[in-house]
Amino acid sequence: MYRGRLERDLKLWTAQGLIDEPVASRLLKEYDSRPSSFSLGRVLMIIAALLVSAAVLLLVAANWEAIPRLVRLIGIVGVIWGAYLAGGLLITRGAERLAAAFLVLGTLAFGGAIALVGQMYHLSGDTFQAMLVWFAGAVVAAVLFRSGAVTAIAGFLAFVVAGADWTASYNTNEMVLLWLMPVMAVIIILLVRYTGADRVRHLAYLLLVTWLAFIYSEYETPTTAITIAAFGAVAYLLAAVPQSPLHAVARSAGASPAFYSYLVLIVGLLVLHAEFDDIGDRLFLGIITLAAAIAGIALSGKENGAVRYLGYATFAAETLYLASETIGSIIGTSGFFLVSGLVVALIAWGVIALERRFSQAETKAEA
Amino acid sequence: MTTSRFFSLPPLVAAIVAAALQTAVLGYMVESRASILRSGADIKLKTLPVDPRDLLRGDYVILSYSISTISKSIITGQAPAAGGRARLSVRLKPGTDTLWTATEASFGELAPAEGSVVMRTLPFDYYAGVDGLPETLFVNYGIERYYVPEGEGKVLEDARNQEELEVEARVSDDGTPQIARLILRGEPIYDEPLY
Repeated sequence: MYRGRLERDLKLWTAQGLIDEPVASRLLKEYDSRPSSFSLGRVLMIIAALLVSAAVLLLVAANWEAIPRLVRLIGIVGVIWGAYLAGGLLITRGAERLAAAFLVLGTLAFGGAIALVGQMYHLSGDTFQAMLVWFAGAVVAAVLFRSGAVTAIAGFLAFVVAGADWTASYNTNEMVLLWLMPVMAVIIILLVRYTGADRVRHLAYLLLVTWLAFIYSEYETPTTAITIAAFGAVAYLLAAVPQSPLHAVARSAGASPAFYSYLVLIVGLLVLHAEFDDIGDRLFLGIITLAAAIAGIALSGKENGAVRYLGYATFAAETLYLASETIGSIIGTSGFFLVSGLVVALIAWGVIALERRFSQAETKAEA
Repeated sequence: MTTSRFFSLPPLVAAIVAAALQTAVLGYMVESRASILRSGADIKLKTLPVDPRDLLRGDYVILSYSISTISKSIITGQAPAAGGRARLSVRLKPGTDTLWTATEASFGELAPAEGSVVMRTLPFDYYAGVDGLPETLFVNYGIERYYVPEGEGKVLEDARNQEELEVEARVSDDGTPQIARLILRGEPIYDEPLY
């Protein structure tokens, strides 16, 4: 693979003093940012690690009586040691991608070992605790190896921890999630900053969005929904308005902060639609939602495609919703579809016109 | 992925530290349970199993005990007035048929006494009505699962239907129980080794 060779060469040149370390990482970053730099080898390697881990976990699940359980436990601990040592060895040899696969294997085997201990001693009512221990183990491994792949595993485990608490309704305290979910999200974001696994950031943001949804499910009132929408609006404005003091920090994390805060705003507004029954309230809410959609397109449309498309979708959905609420009942079903068709055509025309302007602005800026 | 390592351990050191930490965690989990089996107080309980499946951990039988239902009449001492989240200490004494039953329960601590074993429930939510506590409280002890080789859960389920399944458990000083043995129609079927 060219990327592997490039990485090795850059390391060599850095070691020989031909280029500086920042230059080397910039060059590598440039290569990674190319659309064709998707590495099939890396993906297949991680998939292989996941498959082997699944085999280990299923070996536990099968409760295979032919092998004494102590032997199975020692075997899994052996897998943990072997995987981590192999990973460490491969890192020292510069084969970081193969190393990542081994680290993933070791971290998942740790989870398998926890499950095996639970099975050995017939533990019940402890799933949440067990998952939390697994998450902690993954975080520690990610820090020690400074591994982006293990950071990704930790990100997924954060969801598993939250899910384990949420679904086990009897023994666990759901209120724990109110503070635990944001704490786990912050841990993941710190890991991402430390390991450079930028894409894992999305898991942390999604965890925060899920957390807000969880808060709403616990306190199902219009006030909660309004607070969530308002929080999203403020966070979005802080991230997207150029005059905001946080604008620079948010931009350094890419398009995500603006997009996810905008998503929170839209989700909050969506939930409010279910809270308000009165037609006047709904109309008012509709106007707010349309305004939010237009504001998103206007503020971030040029630089943030994700916000732009969410804005389009929100605008279209809200327009159709308002049409069905107001004139839908007057004109009958076929008339409503006719009006819907016209409305969607109008929106489509608006979107095409806007997209053309954005792309023209981009070419002008480049020229 | 990262080429700049302004702070990081040598990978092999990281490997040893990570593996050792995780092994220590697992060792602690194992020993905390094995020590109960080794030195806990023996009790014997009546059960009611059913049979679902845990994908990650294989077949297990859900066990429910006669001591899982705590009657209001045996609760001594003050109960938290507002309801909420609590744990009970439950005093168990052997009955005439050698099966242990709950004789006293408290939201606070229960003093150890000769011929009885005090077991702690897992935390549970309860709602106090106008008359205070509800008539019965349903509690769990953390011994409600028994993992069996694939396919063998059925036998235990049948025994459940005939109420012929008993559990021998050991209880640590702090009230944590650990299943030690399953008894089917008076015959021990699964004997739990320490490890």
